[in-house]
Amino acid sequence: MTELRRVFNYFTNNLDRISGYMLEHLILIVIAIALSIGLWVSLGILVRSNKKAADSVLGLGSLIMAIPSVAIYGILVSIPGLGLSRQSAVIALVLYSMLPILRNVYVSLNEVDKSILEAAKGMGMSDRQILRKVQLPLALPVILAGVRVATVMMVGIGTLAVYIGERNLGVLIEQGLKRSRSDMIIVGAILVTVFVVVIDFFIGWLESAAVSEGIKSDEGSKAGGEN
Amino acid sequence: MIKIEEVTKKYPGMERPAVDKLSLNIEEGEICVFVGPSGCGKTTTLKMINLIIEPSGGKIFVNGENILEQNANELRKKIGYVIQKTGLFPHYSVFDNIAVVPNLLGWEEERVEKRVVELLKMMNLDPDENRNKFPKALSGGQSQRVGVARAMAADPPVMLMDEPFGAVDPITRNQLQNEFLKLQQKVKKTICFVTHDIDEAIKMGDKIAILDQGKLVQYDTPENILFNPANEFVEEFVGSDRSLKVLNLLRVTTVMRKNIKRIKEKAGIDEINKYFSHPEKNRILIENDENHVVGYLAKEEYHKISTAKGWNKAIRIFPTSLNKHNTLKDAMSDMLQHNIAALPVMDEEDKFMGIVSFRDIQSYIGEAYEENENEKELDENEVL
Repeated sequence: MTELRRVFNYFTNNLDRISGYMLEHLILIVIAIALSIGLWVSLGILVRSNKKAADSVLGLGSLIMAIPSVAIYGILVSIPGLGLSRQSAVIALVLYSMLPILRNVYVSLNEVDKSILEAAKGMGMSDRQILRKVQLPLALPVILAGVRVATVMMVGIGTLAVYIGERNLGVLIEQGLKRSRSDMIIVGAILVTVFVVVIDFFIGWLESAAVSEGIKSDEGSKAGGEN
Repeated sequence: MIKIEEVTKKYPGMERPAVDKLSLNIEEGEICVFVGPSGCGKTTTLKMINLIIEPSGGKIFVNGENILEQNANELRKKIGYVIQKTGLFPHYSVFDNIAVVPNLLGWEEERVEKRVVELLKMMNLDPDENRNKFPKALSGGQSQRVGVARAMAADPPVMLMDEPFGAVDPITRNQLQNEFLKLQQKVKKTICFVTHDIDEAIKMGDKIAILDQGKLVQYDTPENILFNPANEFVEEFVGSDRSLKVLNLLRVTTVMRKNIKRIKEKAGIDEINKYFSHPEKNRILIENDENHVVGYLAKEEYHKISTAKGWNKAIRIFPTSLNKHNTLKDAMSDMLQHNIAALPVMDEEDKFMGIVSFRDIQSYIGEAYEENENEKELDENEVL
């Protein structure tokens, strides 16, 4: 009971500081996810019909995924021009989201039924029209599922960016550990979880708004349910 | 309308070409069915007409223009394309699916709306009920109807249909075939139709192109394919029951006898006696005052009853009658079912048109084959 009270007290007494951390966290994630989507969806589209290229970039993605995040941060800050900066944090997060987003883009674009593509071609649609009007809308639920996984991961890994100068929710956890302040750690952990839930909810909303009713009940919920 | 000249398709690493110097002409407004066993090149040939597959050699003209000199996407917008799995866009409503090509062509909204509604009606789909449905909510038959509507959306003069009715149950298939034939009488498209089912080919085709190993084996009307198969392969492919298939193809009017002697119901015995005195006359049609055929009279029954008061009691009523759209198969089926050797053909107003007899069908088919069979088989027929 007293522990719970301490957590609550810490939260209410430091509301200003904590909301500042949250905002910083949000900004980092939004920048990183925007860049990731732009970069990895484009790359996925580029390699969609080239299995060799796709295999090598997906391999690279898996490799990055295998490197511990602290090590990546360490490598990035050692690069001249990056150093202890937001750029380093953003780049690390973007690199981590490579595999989940790229893989889902590549797989979903290639899973579109061949007969649908043949019909599209047979009606005189150009490759670009087929991509925009047929493949991407059909792949959207799976792509969004990848984005969801990437975002959730970013929120977690983002906390570790405090070691390279970010001032986000990770501060609560890092400081709490250093000072053996369980109330701080618990507040940090709860807020990170809330963060994830909110983002998950937001992407779920995005999905229901952007995905066609015609494909919703089957692929949509299945892909979303992967989390 | 479609002219295929020495067209060849060779895939790398394959020993024989998938399509080998194939030439044929499809006349405007005709349905030409490509049929053959799997791997015969029928689908490949079809897909070369809209450049889904690029020919390795030869020329294809659609409407007088060499398609190889055209932009493939522009060409495809002018050719309707229907495939077996429908290929409907699952994320588009029925309306949007049908509107794909008109939208690609940049039609105005109003024109698209009008055309889609018109097509839905044409396909026997209620526009209000179906326009907002998504493909997943459609039955197999409905999907195929939407697929055909989509192919016809921009009113292309040419349509390519790749086993369009292959994936639906036999009852629905039959229904779709009939609807499509009816529609075709109105729209008169030039159609290339691929199937592996010879019965479908016979039913749908104005002409049938039988392919084997990439080569055209026979290109002819269904009648000629059945009566006069070019070689053993065709003979085997159309099946040993091809004479039965002919029955399905020919209308009763082809063997119907028109000017048949009829006697009024009120005629006197003398007239009938005189007619039956001829040893070869065994039956006579009886009609009433309005020239409606009421039945027939058989000689033996007439003789049995002639002592009694009225000969009319010996008149037998036809158990059923045919109409001019019936096939010989329908006629035979009715004859077998009712154990009768001849049936009258009536027009829409139930007026007598003529009579079809078992024997006439037999001799018609027999003669048609005799012209083409060799002598040995002729001898066998005589013995029988």
